[in-house]
Amino acid sequence: MGIVIEAANVLIAQADTPELYGQQAGRAIALGVGAGGGAAGAGAGIGMLFGKVIESVTRQPEMKDEIASIQWLGFALTEACFFYGLVGGLIAFFL
Amino acid sequence: MSTRRKIALGIGGVYIFGMIAIVAIFGATRNDNAEFLPQDEFKLLTWLDLPGPMDLNKGVLYLFLATALTIGVMTYVSKRMQARPNRVQTAVEWLYTGMRDKIVRDNMDDEMARKWFPLVCTLFVFIWISNMIGYLPLPVNSSHPFNLFGAEIPSFQIYAATANVSIPLVLALIVFFSYNVEGVRAKGLWGYMKSVAIPPGVGGGILFMIVPLEIMSQFLRLISLTVRLFANLLAGHMLIQFMAGGLAVLLGLEVLAWFTLPAGVAIYLFEVTLIAGLQAFIFAILTCIYLGSAVSHHH
Repeated sequence: MGIVIEAANVLIAQADTPELYGQQAGRAIALGVGAGGGAAGAGAGIGMLFGKVIESVTRQPEMKDEIASIQWLGFALTEACFFYGLVGGLIAFFL
Repeated sequence: MSTRRKIALGIGGVYIFGMIAIVAIFGATRNDNAEFLPQDEFKLLTWLDLPGPMDLNKGVLYLFLATALTIGVMTYVSKRMQARPNRVQTAVEWLYTGMRDKIVRDNMDDEMARKWFPLVCTLFVFIWISNMIGYLPLPVNSSHPFNLFGAEIPSFQIYAATANVSIPLVLALIVFFSYNVEGVRAKGLWGYMKSVAIPPGVGGGILFMIVPLEIMSQFLRLISLTVRLFANLLAGHMLIQFMAGGLAVLLGLEVLAWFTLPAGVAIYLFEVTLIAGLQAFIFAILTCIYLGSAVSHHH
């Protein structure tokens, strides 16, 4: 623990001012949380979606064409949630 | 040894040899490049200063390009319709019937479908073509020009009109006003507002919580339509840019580009084959769903 605090002190000393350092750190955290959390949520959602699609197609193969169009609609709607997080993180990082 | 195995071994050998060669020539030390700003790739520099808000820049060029291609290709194909279709005509006819039967007619009645099919089809084709020309590298990046025999030439980059927030926002606004006007026309102003704000089968005290949520969700549709299209394109372009060498330039670490290049190629293919068409399809089908739900009497 002491080593970590020592390293953090060195890093803060390297930045111009502690305020600037805190600002940079906050931006990096925002981008990481936005992109990482968004990717985790969208990953879970897309995985569940395709799992359900496989399940329903194996149960009722004759519904395959009908399921396919709904499947891509759901995929795009779920995937977009990742980009909401990413865009929020990018806005925090660059502005 | 089979041919496939020989090819795989050859590619693997070239990959490892290239890695060693790059490390031997350039070394593997990191020296950060402070001059290269990746966000400048998406900055819109004014090229031609015209009066009013009509300045010509990168986004406007891509918008004109996409519009010209949409109008040009579609009129060209429809003017040269033949009884025995060639390959392009078959593809366009497949697209047309697919759009008409699967997307538009599934979500609204026949009379409305006839009225709104041109808008939905145009939106689909425009967004798809705009996305696709976004994946061709064109010399438009004037914030990082390079010098060729004394002439300043903007470097090549990938950019799309839909990767800027304003174009998807305008398209989403068109959709938003279309379905609201259509809903008001079908049910009258008061009836439409009631059908938007109060879901069927809900009554009593819970309405105080449901009504603001329902009204907010109408405006969130506008944001989600815009951000879905724009962020998909922007994030795709940024990923391709970083994986194809931007990260290596930013960190000054040459061997990193060799590692990230296969990922860049994979993301590029994924974006071109799936995302470009899928986003256009989603925009079109959501337009139809919103239009259909605005006039339907059971919400």
